[in-house]
Amino acid sequence: MKRIIRDTCILSSLMIFCVFVISIRWVGMTDEIRLVLLLFGLSFVIATANYFLDEYTSLSIIAGYAVKYIVATCIVMLFGFIVGWFYKSNFWMAFIYVGIVLILAYFIDAVKTKRDIEFINSRIKDKTT
Amino acid sequence: MRIEKRQVEGQPLTVIIEYPKWNESVDNLIKKIGRMDITFAGKSEEREVSISIRDIYYIENVERKLFLYTKDEVFRLNVSMPEIESRIYDTSLVRISRTCIMNTDYLKEIKQIKNSHLEAVMDNDEKLIVSRKYLSDIKKMFRKEGL
Repeated sequence: MKRIIRDTCILSSLMIFCVFVISIRWVGMTDEIRLVLLLFGLSFVIATANYFLDEYTSLSIIAGYAVKYIVATCIVMLFGFIVGWFYKSNFWMAFIYVGIVLILAYFIDAVKTKRDIEFINSRIKDKTT
Repeated sequence: MRIEKRQVEGQPLTVIIEYPKWNESVDNLIKKIGRMDITFAGKSEEREVSISIRDIYYIENVERKLFLYTKDEVFRLNVSMPEIESRIYDTSLVRISRTCIMNTDYLKEIKQIKNSHLEAVMDNDEKLIVSRKYLSDIKKMFRKEGL
């Protein structure tokens, strides 16, 4: 199942990439393409910030996600103001968007960490018995 | 492949490889054995000591100084962290945080402690902090060992 999901993600990424390249070549930069490219740009900035947070801080999972929430929200708000997604009346929406993404990421991370620990400990047990 | 072993007292551990023709498998085997015999030059109370990779429990960077820990001794290393990392490739040593490299051969358990921090307990009961970022690298190492 894991392999099917992984292959689906790879295939869909390739399809999006091909559709994008052909669309930009023949139709030009539409609003939809611009939006997706901006989302890629935003993801890159957030991923870079997360990388440095992971590398240079040693926080608990909850504290780590709290810091990431604040940093990512600030980035999304700033980015949103620059590219015109947010205005003074709706900037609070960034808190909701980032919150939902991070809550999902937190639960996936917590489950994955638990599974990884169980796997490592079971291998150590196998080795010693 | 035929494996022969015999005890020869008073001699260092010696591995002799006989092969009918040099090929990739022979090359890999020699490289693998070679990696088991990596040594680091450590310093302890002004004496220089050669420490085998098999005796290393962990290596830690404390205020830009590297220290190598065996079961009950500590040595100062005069190499950089990237240099160590390049030498431990495909061995049982793995990075567990920005400042620490651990030998998984002596790992007793990984625990999730208070505040969801991760802790590695070594077989001499020393405890090391594991960064979540490197947990998947430790897992990969055990997955590789299981093959």
